Amino acid sequence: MDAAGELKTLIAIPAYNEQASIGAVIAELAGHHPLEHVIVVDDGSRDDTSQIAQAAGVRVIRHAINLGVGAAMGTAFKFAARHGYNAMVQLDADGQHRPEYLETLLAGVGTADIVVGSRFAGGGEFRSTWARRGVQRLIAWTVSAYARTRLTDVTSGFRVSGPRAIELFSQHYPVEYLGDTVESIVFATRHGLTVKEVPVLMNERAAGLPSQSILRATLYTGRILLILVLAGFRSSPPTIAEAQRRAKKGKKR
Amino acid sequence: MNPQVLAIVLSVAMFIVVLVLLRFYFLPEKYAVIWLVAAVVSIVLSVFPGILDAVSDFFGISQPINLLFVGGFFVVLLLLMQLSLELARTRDQLRKAIQALAIEAEETRHDTEQ
Repeated sequence: MDAAGELKTLIAIPAYNEQASIGAVIAELAGHHPLEHVIVVDDGSRDDTSQIAQAAGVRVIRHAINLGVGAAMGTAFKFAARHGYNAMVQLDADGQHRPEYLETLLAGVGTADIVVGSRFAGGGEFRSTWARRGVQRLIAWTVSAYARTRLTDVTSGFRVSGPRAIELFSQHYPVEYLGDTVESIVFATRHGLTVKEVPVLMNERAAGLPSQSILRATLYTGRILLILVLAGFRSSPPTIAEAQRRAKKGKKR
Repeated sequence: MNPQVLAIVLSVAMFIVVLVLLRFYFLPEKYAVIWLVAAVVSIVLSVFPGILDAVSDFFGISQPINLLFVGGFFVVLLLLMQLSLELARTRDQLRKAIQALAIEAEETRHDTEQ
């Protein structure tokens, strides 16, 4: 961040039925970030996620029904914008993301609008079959082309958004499947934001492709490619276009 | 029995169903118009099948029934498209309402706790 501005950082944890891990995640986070600047967005959980998070001392926003992780992130960005935060870190509720990398991520905010923590930027490789690796590479290559920078881990949910990204995402955040990761990068770069990666380590978890069978892997690939093509084809959503019109008018006056 | 009788009975029944749904507030005016038009058109066509023959002649369709099928098919497609758009809009509004409500509720809770 530049010398003039100090970062006011919010950590947002989208959570859906994560009562088993949310307590430990917050406890670990407590050593790295003040808990009054941590928000859990409970996306309509039917377990004790909210209660545990609240008891742990963080702020908790509850969706009345399950809207998907993209909508949960959208809510977090709206909250961040309303409360004057100029950096927001997205952290998974399953303990996959390590809080000791918060500083690494936040250090990048001055040089890019979105900083993604990448498992592979340090030279690591997705350990799986050649088909899955190929798919992962194709996706990374396509998103990199949109972002005009080399990205290796585009499905990583461990990332920080700077002030310009918070402003954009509070107006619109992709809510469809995988919108919270891949589509949001394409959407942001198409609106003039910059993205970069920093290498991080993550804890063991079902990472990468959530697909067990060939059929599911094919469906996943097809869906993600459709998202990528559509994300490039679509214009600005009405809320963004409206905001841009208003901003232009304001300048003319 | 003349099949025309069946056609007339069915289209009149459809008209009555639309009227009943309208009367008891199940069907808002917004959608009522299209269904009323559909019911009236089918009544007119079943009473005067000659119209169908004439229009088919004009378009060079040898079997008038094909005109009915094609026309009906496209009307149904348009209706489905309208439903898709309406559903997308409703989902969007529902999501925004829940998000706004969730943030407001948290802020109220947070302020009263202080």
